[in-house]
Amino acid sequence: MGVDKPRTSLPLFDEGGRSYEHPLYDKLLSMPGLSVGVAPLDRLLTWGLTNSLWVFPMATSCCGIELMAAAASRVDLDRMGTFYRGTPRQGDVMVVAGTITVKMAPRVKRLWEQMPEPKWAIAMGSCAISGDFYRDLYPVVPGIDTFLPVDVYIPGCPPNPESLMAGLLELAAKIRSEQGKPLTAPVQKTGGLVATKPSIARIGDPERDPSLSDQQMEAASRAAESPVARPAEELEMPPVPETAPGTVAAPPTFAPELVELFQAHGVVDFPKDAPPVVPLARHVALARALVERGYKQLVYVVASHWLAGKGRSGNVAGGPEHHEVAYGLRTVGPKRGAEGGSKLAWWSVRVEAGGAAPTLAHVIAGADWQEREQWDLVGVRFSGHPDLRRLMMPDDWSGHPLRKDYPADAHTAPWR
Amino acid sequence: MSALLRGFVYGLLVVNAVLLTSAVNIWFERKFSARMQSRVGPTRVGPLGLLQPFADVAKLMSKEDTVPASGNRVLFTAAPLLATVCALAAAAVVPFTPDVVAADLDVGVLWVLAVGSITTIAIFMAGWASNNKFALLGGMRSIAQAVSYEVPLVLSAMVPVVLSGTMSLSGIVTWQSEHLWIAAWPLIPGLPAFVIFFLAMTAEANRIPFDIPEAESELVAGVTTEYSGMKFALFYVGEYAHTLVGSAIASALFLGGWSGPMAATMPWLGLVYMVVKTLFLFFMITWVRWSLVRFRSDQLLAICWKWLVPISVGLVLVAALWVELVPGVH
Amino acid sequence: MEVALRKIQRPDPYLDIADVEADAELMLLHLGPQHPSTHGVFRIDLYLDGEIIVKAVPFPGYLHRGVEKLCERLTFVQQTPVVDKHDYVAPMTSEQAINMAFEALLKVEVPRRARYLRSIFAEMQRIASHLLWLGTFTLDLGGAMGGGTTLFMHCFRERETILDLFEEVTGARFHYNTHTIGGNRHDLTAGWAAKVKSAMDLIESRLSEYVSMSYENRIFRQRTSGVGVLDGALALELGVSGPILRASGVDHDLRRDAPFHAYDEVEVKVATATEGDCLARTKVRVEELRESIRLVRLFLDGLPEGPINGGKPIKLAGQYKVNTGQVYVGIETPRGELGTYVIAGGEGGASPYRLKFRAPSLHALSTLPYVLPGATLSDCVAILGSLDPIMGEVDR
Ligand code: SF4
Repeated sequence: MGVDKPRTSLPLFDEGGRSYEHPLYDKLLSMPGLSVGVAPLDRLLTWGLTNSLWVFPMATSCCGIELMAAAASRVDLDRMGTFYRGTPRQGDVMVVAGTITVKMAPRVKRLWEQMPEPKWAIAMGSCAISGDFYRDLYPVVPGIDTFLPVDVYIPGCPPNPESLMAGLLELAAKIRSEQGKPLTAPVQKTGGLVATKPSIARIGDPERDPSLSDQQMEAASRAAESPVARPAEELEMPPVPETAPGTVAAPPTFAPELVELFQAHGVVDFPKDAPPVVPLARHVALARALVERGYKQLVYVVASHWLAGKGRSGNVAGGPEHHEVAYGLRTVGPKRGAEGGSKLAWWSVRVEAGGAAPTLAHVIAGADWQEREQWDLVGVRFSGHPDLRRLMMPDDWSGHPLRKDYPADAHTAPWR
Repeated sequence: MSALLRGFVYGLLVVNAVLLTSAVNIWFERKFSARMQSRVGPTRVGPLGLLQPFADVAKLMSKEDTVPASGNRVLFTAAPLLATVCALAAAAVVPFTPDVVAADLDVGVLWVLAVGSITTIAIFMAGWASNNKFALLGGMRSIAQAVSYEVPLVLSAMVPVVLSGTMSLSGIVTWQSEHLWIAAWPLIPGLPAFVIFFLAMTAEANRIPFDIPEAESELVAGVTTEYSGMKFALFYVGEYAHTLVGSAIASALFLGGWSGPMAATMPWLGLVYMVVKTLFLFFMITWVRWSLVRFRSDQLLAICWKWLVPISVGLVLVAALWVELVPGVH
Repeated sequence: MEVALRKIQRPDPYLDIADVEADAELMLLHLGPQHPSTHGVFRIDLYLDGEIIVKAVPFPGYLHRGVEKLCERLTFVQQTPVVDKHDYVAPMTSEQAINMAFEALLKVEVPRRARYLRSIFAEMQRIASHLLWLGTFTLDLGGAMGGGTTLFMHCFRERETILDLFEEVTGARFHYNTHTIGGNRHDLTAGWAAKVKSAMDLIESRLSEYVSMSYENRIFRQRTSGVGVLDGALALELGVSGPILRASGVDHDLRRDAPFHAYDEVEVKVATATEGDCLARTKVRVEELRESIRLVRLFLDGLPEGPINGGKPIKLAGQYKVNTGQVYVGIETPRGELGTYVIAGGEGGASPYRLKFRAPSLHALSTLPYVLPGATLSDCVAILGSLDPIMGEVDR
């Protein structure tokens, strides 16, 4: 079909492959004599479209801040008639700004489907383009073009607000260049969340070979399989001296009265550079006693996973697989001279494989979420926990990603 | 027949004038808010970005017209129409000059209030038919708000009616041209009634700080969450038309409408006065909107029932007393 | 600790909704993960009775990027640009937190000038972050099409001046990658200090305007006072820190109570409030803005000459090695105690075996099941905004 011929072939298709009818074009085309109005109308609508690109912001992380800054005084996207609408129904451009995770991707896809045609997508920032340096990590989608038809890519980490504006102008130019071209049905692929080609021809890029996307995706999965480069061993530097002069942020030390308390709870060894290990049976009682002594603020719960033959002091021949869970509590209060201030008490418990640590959630309410997170990510169980659900990963996720036997680049179908 | 023709011509004029002014007001509001925020606002479409609202509407015309699969298609489609038509219908009785009024009803004030309140039904229809929880919450809020704010709105509109002894808007304006603006004389029921009417009218038009049915930060886009394309454009323009017509009515009721120096001899001057007063009120609403944050729904209702309603009841009584005691009011 | 902690009956976060459902017809509303006011991708399931929240179940994790796993694969010197992306409103502080932990683990000394620079950067980040917070918080209260936007734009305008200053030193608007083990990578440019001072003057002079647009405004006060009350004891238990804790009557600030950087050389005035509601949080943060402006000036005046890095020049990715040991270092960021827990002994000793970030925002969000019940949907947005969560560090 010629470039300057008005479009005569309806219908359009949306993402789901359903056709939709355009209210205005349809009327005009069905009325004899009025079909000549289609070309000027097309020009008018394109003028409207390019000058009033309302953004549906899919801002998930850092790039979202720049997305906000782009609407703010200095750059002021409103100059070109662009502002942000909170509902997908009123957006024309979905700007995906930020990392999209496997937990979020189905939602993004769904929001995209809720946007009315014609619609465009902009990938803002390396995360949206390719997944940035998270791309071969288990929860991250390596680029939104694995499941959305992207029209404009704005590189950067994060791209400046000015770049976003340039991207929107680029999109407007693209829309204009496609004005009056025939419409085609989108390329549909079967299966769940797989890449789809742009649904409307006017956003199609004639320069871009359609097979390119497939090649890119293959390359993505190949890259995910290759191991990470490690510095060569022979380039080793001299070891760090045991003590260095001057001020060093001091690791937590033990006040004498705490040593007593810990000893009363079955601690024998106080290592200089690691938390003392408290027997599982006494651990809740110790936490209670510490809270009574003013260590009221929960600081952290950190679990770590140790495969067989590994331990806190390096390689332990024949050592069993286990978890270690470290806890930290703080005192609060103003520092007056050398007195007062905030002191940290830390300890850890050792949980054998298959075992469970008694929960602290009944002593310190905040342990609830922290323990949930550690269970979710590291896989250590907490007995008696009131609500042991996953916190970070989707509910149907299998495995605990921070376990040492869990591959970092575990492929998460269907994105890879 | 000629009355019909006249009504038709005037109706066409008024509707187009209101819609056009609404579009310009959208532009004005975007520019004005931008200046308040040390931005510049639309600059690229037309001179000073003046064509921006038209580009928006052209864009919205070309968008797909979505209806939620589980929503009620009929009500969903009817709601934006109803909302806009009601806003425009109220404009029918607005006297622009002594002669230019599409329909000079004897019960003009009643008509305005009655038609204006149908907007609420339209908004609730939209909320309910969308089958969306945010939209439904927005619809419920708008009912609660309207049920409350209708009362002070009607009561404060009664003050000019009582004073002038007529329910026709033209009659009220004529009365004011013979006496003084009602907002200025008699000062005591006049000015507070004007303020209350203005507040309640802002609430009816869902403008910040009373915009709880829309409340973007809470309800995404409130009742319009599911609306796209032309249906949304109708709501978008309808909201501005509603505010504009509300401002026009407030200036007719309280600020003397077309009356002013030399308006009796030069009718076109009356039109200028009317337009200037209306736009001034619209400007006030815009100014407030871009300065304040919004109330919570319970606070909104508390203000209405604790303050506006009792005061406006008192004002009507004062107005009645005034008519009884001061000679020469009628 | 002599603080009058208010005793308030705690809502039960484990409330069985079936018990309530018998008496009232509840509506389950999913707020998020994509919602204008969730500050990123965060979901709360609200069980509503009318507009009153009966139970709230938060679901973080929509931005979980697996950074802790990534950090186990990177060497110590490679980590800084990664952690920039956690607290993306104040990335400098994330960099500082992780590098200080490594310095403690590797026993590297930080020269005095570098500590001063870090203090200056930290305080400027606090200003930028609190400004952004004030803007987005009013945006939550006032909506995208109203007065909220106005203050938001003004706050962003001021934040841009700070970003410009950072850009001059580090070359980036944010995600600076300017800290490294043992100090900083970029020294100040000529004339930078004077520019900072004039920017501080500007912000200080405009602060009263922002106050009049925020908590001196009656509607703003009505929307925030008494909303989202968090008592100090519960806040401590949940691990809440920073301005939220201080607004709940607990006088605690690591800058003063466990000094790091150069904070032991100055006196930090800590702002507190006792009400524990959204209004108190606003006031505390605005006070902190003033205090930060004062501190920036103080540090700039006392800035010593000298080297800015006490570590070895970085030639190799794996040049720092350590095989055993665990450290925890926590610093005060705009959102509270940001800590890094490092277990040494990753592959070859050049990378950590396990790295865990203690994110203040995660602890702040864990208050939601306690403070939301009884509030309305509108309050929910205000409360969530007042907690100032940054999803990047919540989910990591
Ligand atoms: S591209 Fe960079 S700035 Fe943008 S979301 Fe990803 S990590 Fe953040």
